[in-house]
Amino acid sequence: MDAIEASGLVKTFSSRGDAPPIEAVAGIDLAVREGEIFGFLGPNGAGKSTTVRVFTTLTKPTAGSARVAGLDVVREAQQVRRTIGVALQEAGLDARATGRELLELQARLYGVRGEEPKRRAGELLDLVGLSDAADRRIQTYSGGMKRRVDLATALVHRPKIMFLDEPTSGLDPASRRTMWHEVRRLNKEDGITVFLTTQYLEEADELARRVAIIDQGKIVAQGTPAQLKGSIGADVLTVTVPAPRLKKAEQAVAALKGLKEIRADSRSLTLFIANGSAVVADVVRLMDEARVKVESVTVASPTLDDVFLRATGHRIEGSTQNGEVA
Amino acid sequence: MTSTTTELRAPSVPQAAGVPEPLRNAFHIGVREVRNVLRAPAEFLPGLFIPVFFYFIQVGSLSSFGHRYGILNFKAFIFPIGLLFAASNGGAGLNMVIDIESGYFDKLLVTPVNRLALLIGAMGADAVRIFAQCTIVTVVALAAGLDFKTGAVGVVVLIAMATIWGIVYSAIGFAIALKTGSPAATQSAWVIFFPLIFLTTAFAPLEALSGWLQTAARMNPVTYLLQGMRALTLTGWNGHDIGIAFLAIAGMGALTLTLALRGLLSRVR
Repeated sequence: MDAIEASGLVKTFSSRGDAPPIEAVAGIDLAVREGEIFGFLGPNGAGKSTTVRVFTTLTKPTAGSARVAGLDVVREAQQVRRTIGVALQEAGLDARATGRELLELQARLYGVRGEEPKRRAGELLDLVGLSDAADRRIQTYSGGMKRRVDLATALVHRPKIMFLDEPTSGLDPASRRTMWHEVRRLNKEDGITVFLTTQYLEEADELARRVAIIDQGKIVAQGTPAQLKGSIGADVLTVTVPAPRLKKAEQAVAALKGLKEIRADSRSLTLFIANGSAVVADVVRLMDEARVKVESVTVASPTLDDVFLRATGHRIEGSTQNGEVA
Repeated sequence: MTSTTTELRAPSVPQAAGVPEPLRNAFHIGVREVRNVLRAPAEFLPGLFIPVFFYFIQVGSLSSFGHRYGILNFKAFIFPIGLLFAASNGGAGLNMVIDIESGYFDKLLVTPVNRLALLIGAMGADAVRIFAQCTIVTVVALAAGLDFKTGAVGVVVLIAMATIWGIVYSAIGFAIALKTGSPAATQSAWVIFFPLIFLTTAFAPLEALSGWLQTAARMNPVTYLLQGMRALTLTGWNGHDIGIAFLAIAGMGALTLTLALRGLLSRVR
């Protein structure tokens, strides 16, 4: 049975004046299996957070349906809230509270009573490594500490399904690794199903068992990272040339043997081609004959960014392979 | 429904007898709000200083002027205005709008917390603050020689009246905070204070006002509130004036609390 399901999910927002409505989510179908980490990968503004807001009952869908643990997010919203743990983008926290106070209040709002909220807060602070900072106000926490306490708030009621909206956005590499470790642990040891949105390719690749790639409100590819990369069925050969010569360069290599597809951006051509290493010399020769100066040539196995490029014609903005924001 | 799906769901929380869950929610939200206010004294100290300052300045500068027009106990005449300064919290809703802006309000909304409890808790905390401010200002004025016509019971009724007014007034700030989510818009609610307080009989009896000012004062519920408050401080137990004052608060409350509820509905929909 699927832990999270969406069918024909649409969310539109009305615009000011005569502008047409904005379709943030444009007909999504997806199914997240119980016990898996599901990566929802896409650039800023692709519709990831809006989808999470629908699943977490913060906004109602315009059309289609969404279910969490078999519960309809509109008709059974209150039960859905009891069932899920949520860490939203930008870690919305009460900066004046201490970590301990924040967790105790969160527990009480889930109906935990008596001394149990104090005990649970202590347990969770220990779990996320914040026991020493438990009685400090959150406004004094670093970005990584805020993310960890936010994650802890999502766990107070021992949910079986968690939504993490860009949980490592803005974190330094070390804090990001710590967060990845924690997400893996929750999934493996506690069996929590995780729906994780990210714009970082490496994060999706590292953490997710299956990935859905979203762009402009639509899912453009879905599968395990290996399946998605394998679907390209070719190497990725990238040739950087002077921008004014890009068209000429594209014409020069168009007839290459084994070429499946060419994508061009402002400075480079990306060739999806069989046996890429063997054709590097041919590419350089063809460019030379066309009098196009080659600045660099690289051959690599496909990445999720290449999957995204092939599906949408553009790369995930602001992301690089090491997960840093460009 | 398969057993697997059932396992994914949260176990139903047993509802213990006693205080209903929404009231518990409101209490916990309120406690958090009070704690946050106490941690930011800069937010409530002006609410104490300004009314006391206003009262003493008015008494010092206008007492003889009041005597000339037959107001023999000018302290009792002007004190209700000072108390309204203390009760009409210009910062109402600001903490809520900070929560909205920071994303913490969404964090609360993904919990099963009763939605109405978010507003009631925040307004309840505001009521505690208003009550404390009004009490302190009254004690200071009494210590400085304010003569109270209706005695100790009158003091209690006056503070209660001012606190209830304060809650009704603060609903304006909460309505704007919830509807707009904008700190600037919420802060601008302060401008409503001036026409409400000053287009009244704040400084002169209704008969002494002329033209549009008298018309505005007649339409302003605060005029009737002041009349009731002055009955308690200046003229003695007058059931009619005190009753009208509570009715004026109720009328204003029906409007502002409706706006606050509509704001909440638009935010949590």
